[in-house]
Amino acid sequence: MSGLRVLVTGCCAPIGEHLVRRLLDDSRVECILAVTGNPVDTFPMSPSTRLSVSRVNLSSNRAVHRLLFEQAKAQKIGVVVHTAMHHSATDEGPKVHAYNVDSVRHLMALCERHPTIKRFVLRSAAAVYQVQRDLPVLIAEDHPLNMAGHAPQWVRDRIQADLSACVRMGMSPLHITVLRMAEVLAPGTGSQLFDYLESRVCLQPAGFDPMINVMSIQDAVGALSDAIGAMEQGVFNIPGADTLPVSLVIERWGRIGIPALGAILSPLYRLRRRLTGHDFRYGMNRRSFIYSGVLDGSRARDVLGYVPSHPIEWPVADASAVG
Amino acid sequence: MPFSPAIADMLTGLFLSDEAKSRASNIHFRDAGHGYDTFGMHPSFVALGELVVRGLYDRYFRVQSQGHHNIPGTGSVILAANHSGNIPIDGVLIWLDVLRNTDPSRVVRPIADHFVPSLPYLGTLFARGGMVGGSRGNARSLLEAGEILMIFPEGVPGIVKPFRKRYQLQEFRHGHAELAIRHSAPIVPVGVVGGEEQMPALFTSKRLGALFGLPVLPVPLFPVPLPVRYHLRYGTPIPVHEEYSPSDADDPAAVAEVASRVKAGVDALLKAGLQARKGVFA
Repeated sequence: MSGLRVLVTGCCAPIGEHLVRRLLDDSRVECILAVTGNPVDTFPMSPSTRLSVSRVNLSSNRAVHRLLFEQAKAQKIGVVVHTAMHHSATDEGPKVHAYNVDSVRHLMALCERHPTIKRFVLRSAAAVYQVQRDLPVLIAEDHPLNMAGHAPQWVRDRIQADLSACVRMGMSPLHITVLRMAEVLAPGTGSQLFDYLESRVCLQPAGFDPMINVMSIQDAVGALSDAIGAMEQGVFNIPGADTLPVSLVIERWGRIGIPALGAILSPLYRLRRRLTGHDFRYGMNRRSFIYSGVLDGSRARDVLGYVPSHPIEWPVADASAVG
Repeated sequence: MPFSPAIADMLTGLFLSDEAKSRASNIHFRDAGHGYDTFGMHPSFVALGELVVRGLYDRYFRVQSQGHHNIPGTGSVILAANHSGNIPIDGVLIWLDVLRNTDPSRVVRPIADHFVPSLPYLGTLFARGGMVGGSRGNARSLLEAGEILMIFPEGVPGIVKPFRKRYQLQEFRHGHAELAIRHSAPIVPVGVVGGEEQMPALFTSKRLGALFGLPVLPVPLFPVPLPVRYHLRYGTPIPVHEEYSPSDADDPAAVAEVASRVKAGVDALLKAGLQARKGVFA
């Protein structure tokens, strides 16, 4: 397990950045190649003998090829952790698709031909799963995916990226691990829920209060770190330490929840998006505000040894725990 | 706000006995971290459920029950009951009966039809009291957690059947038998007498039902259920866990045999209950 040499994409976002910090603290990791889309000098950590930082446009096949077959080859990188994903749900189009999906395909194809890379870890999302009334609340890895034709590109891209990795399992010389993570309740992670909670008043469909699961950045990073160290391949659900109703999420986040007629929520949140530039799309998340859906992390626990242990640091204390 | 445990606590604090409150707070319960289990059950709402249902149970339907000793005190178990009465009062009464008459108290997890979780307010309140949507995955995880499930193998055709077919069991689905075999859970047949006469329907309408998100809507003869007396009987458990191995769950013949034994068990309890009762309201 010693002597890990890891390439991490998406280091301009909080999860990638925190992962690099964690890997730097891990004595098993010899070398880290952090890939960011931003200028290198904006990266918050200074390069060292163990850390090098590279700015690469992942949508550019040529640039990715150079990254892998020059820098990564020279550093004898053995593991690639792909966390990069376009965050905004409002941005759509071929460029976003190329960044989200085509880059995964191309990156994996190159990794398969690479002389030193043996392992590929993809950060996927729980958003790939279908949530509806006749499906289990507890979501296992074989749960149906949200393949609805009308699903927005944000969802379709995540599913395509996920499946692009899944279909190579067993056919590829790489050990491939796909981590379908619960929503990380933190800024800059692409969390729709976080954006929803940015408003002082949060509207909920009246009559519904489903259970959801959310996770902290620390747990997300812990799961990626566990996957880097493990040799198993497969798909794993990565739940967070917090499972609670939506109304309690709103309350613990210090917001005011107001029940409203379900039919008006989509236009209201569309209006909010246009007026304030927020990213939350109610229509995309509608079912998660009606039906419960909680990731079953037993496979990740049994195989990867991942157990969520860092609950969200809620701004408002649990009222029932007081006294 | 309508689903706040604080409101449930306030109401039960005012109107529920200490014994009942203690019962709800001592239930076998897997807290997922914030006072709720994964499916949304919360002890405060179990207590609220008892507060809401006790009037129906004690005074309106004057429930008489027997055979509680047949309900295992621990471990996974499936209660399989006949379904009747056009509205699912039978499920609610069994829920409270088991809560009150098991020691330590067990909360029955009713497996509801798919449409129930999509009912505003009711779906959420039922979930807080322990109900789960009728999917195989939900049932599996509850059985693996050693919970007590309540299933009506007749489904909707049982509850909305015409009055002339009262106490005639409809076709039993086989899902409960397969679950029991696969997860080594005994099945306790339950006979419910009384429900058939509570609310005879003039007719049923799928079109009207669709307006309310229901598979079918019975149009009853009376606007409210009649104060019939309910009789609940719990039969001898069918030791599926001793007689079958989990792999038998893939054997359609074995599954059909278990379902047939359950149906016969429920039928026998119904006949005994009908023979013993002195009248619909007595």
